[in-house]
Amino acid sequence: MRRDELIEGAVLFLCGGVTVVLSLRMPIGTFRMAGSGLFPLCLGIILMLLALLYLANLLLQRDAKGHPGQTAGPAPRAAGQMLLFFGASALGVLGLNILGYPLTAFLLMLLLLRILGIRRPVLLVALPLLAAAGSYLLFVQFLKIPLPKGLIGL
Amino acid sequence: MVESIQQLMSGFGIAATLMNLLYCLLGAVAGTMVGILPGLGPIAGIALLIPVTFGLNPTSAIIMLCGIYYGAMYGGSTTSILLNVPGETASVITCIDGYQMARKGRAGPALAICAIGSFTAGTLGIFGMVFLAPPLAQAALAFGPPEYFSLMICGFIVLSNVTGGSLIKSLMMAVIGLIIGAVGLDPVTGEYRFTFDTTYLLSGIEFVAVAIGLFGIAEVLANVDQPLDQLEQSVIVPRFRDLYPSLQDLKQSIGAMLRGAGIGFGVGLIPGPAPVIATYASYMTEKRISKHPDAFGTGVIEGVAGPEAANNAACQSAFIPLFVLGIPFAPPTAILLGALMIHGVVPGPMMISEHPDVFWGVIASMYIGNFILLLLNLPFVPFFASILRIPKKVLLPLVMLFCLTGMYTVNNSVNDIWLMLLMGALGYLMRKRAYDAAPLLLALVIGPKMEVAFRQSLMLSHGNFGVFFERPVSLTFLLATVLFLALPALRFIIRTLGAGARNEGGAG
Repeated sequence: MRRDELIEGAVLFLCGGVTVVLSLRMPIGTFRMAGSGLFPLCLGIILMLLALLYLANLLLQRDAKGHPGQTAGPAPRAAGQMLLFFGASALGVLGLNILGYPLTAFLLMLLLLRILGIRRPVLLVALPLLAAAGSYLLFVQFLKIPLPKGLIGL
Repeated sequence: MVESIQQLMSGFGIAATLMNLLYCLLGAVAGTMVGILPGLGPIAGIALLIPVTFGLNPTSAIIMLCGIYYGAMYGGSTTSILLNVPGETASVITCIDGYQMARKGRAGPALAICAIGSFTAGTLGIFGMVFLAPPLAQAALAFGPPEYFSLMICGFIVLSNVTGGSLIKSLMMAVIGLIIGAVGLDPVTGEYRFTFDTTYLLSGIEFVAVAIGLFGIAEVLANVDQPLDQLEQSVIVPRFRDLYPSLQDLKQSIGAMLRGAGIGFGVGLIPGPAPVIATYASYMTEKRISKHPDAFGTGVIEGVAGPEAANNAACQSAFIPLFVLGIPFAPPTAILLGALMIHGVVPGPMMISEHPDVFWGVIASMYIGNFILLLLNLPFVPFFASILRIPKKVLLPLVMLFCLTGMYTVNNSVNDIWLMLLMGALGYLMRKRAYDAAPLLLALVIGPKMEVAFRQSLMLSHGNFGVFFERPVSLTFLLATVLFLALPALRFIIRTLGAGARNEGGAG
């Protein structure tokens, strides 16, 4: 039995509980004429029962050492790289409506490539330029899908 | 029968005109491109390209849109195999063994088997459509809400067994998917649920955002969390001489293709996300009858051939209820219904007599389209596989950029991108903790339909749950569900008893 598995079970049980509570705020009705809350209520209860079953299973397997299906966590440095990558992507979304698509796509690609260890200046400029121009041509010119122009109208 | 063949022949005459061949080719190519791009699945692809067909006659327009549909389905499988990013839900299952094959340097055979499987299914499917369409459509029409609900329950259990991980974990993910699917408008009463007074949630959770997040973004993040040196080493570079399937591959695949085509065609007639259920059912069948079921999930070619054939066959037979009954049973066919209406063709029982050129022309064009895809995609297998030659340091940012852009194009909404990133983070954590995302996604898609079927069944039976057990077809699905649930336990008991008997024998 592992502490993190117990936490997972508890979180899922809690999710079921929250669903039940929120469902109870809606009309439940009867099985003959179900209200909008009945189906989610049933789902919340089922989730809680499954989470309990999962927890009971863990408690019954006290001697078990770990779980074969789980993968080890990333090394701290790699985890930092992943967080940076994710953070940069989120930053790109923030910049979309301000800088416009082409510029944001260029800067985002540059940042992501740099985070993943690309250092050659030629690549750091050429790849983002190609990606931004290519995706812009594909979506805006070829597929005729408008993308954010941003405050500077790019 | 003879009349059907004659009309099919006239349909081939219509579909084989130079202009219609051109539109079929354009549709297939555009569809493949749309399918390969993460975030642009067949639904978005068809919707986006409907305006392009405005100047065409109805037959050419529908031929082109259908080409986009099955081209996108093929393209979706390509990204599933090469990048572990399913272009659409029906390709989720292809990721399991297809991506593993790619990781072993067998991306080429996997892609080629996809094309051959799709063509085989298309060939069988056209015979099925011509000869079996009327009786099968009748059978599907006889399905009521209880049968529909029981079928979907069965689908969940099959899926949970398919994933190979913990059954309880998979079921919990399915329930969470159903809960997420309940967000937005109540499909029966029209009341809002779980919207927390935000306008964004009024129309429910955007399925595409969840799909790209859980599969695309999570995959990118899972790759990025490797140290830089490993990131460089883990680039898959398939050798060109290994790109085409061997005779052994074809021999191993042919049975799976035929079974998949049969399953897909049958499931395609049933309301719901037929290609999704068909691929899972086909995969499950292959796993069950295989001599090496434990190898599934590690890159088994039958795990690609069967579902791909099922996918194509289900897509094809899904046109039967659309054309004959005028009822779309899946989102892509719903969009095609809209396109038909725009072009002045009203699908339904009268369509065959009122618009025989459209009906038979489109059916014939599907076969031609599959042939075009086979001709196009087999020679281009090296080209698609060459995507894996791009270093991951370059590929991962590109995939991220396309996911962000593709997501935006679905609804022109930045909120959808945020949802996608959130789902990406969730998918990453789920992956790390050995939770499978496929049941969640499937549940999200069919959740609203399932709820409607559940509530309608109970309304019909005045609140009596016996309605699910009294009707033979519904009971059959539920018995199959119990069987699927009991199978792991039965297998465990048999193995334990077998091991016990062997130990006793050894001791004696």
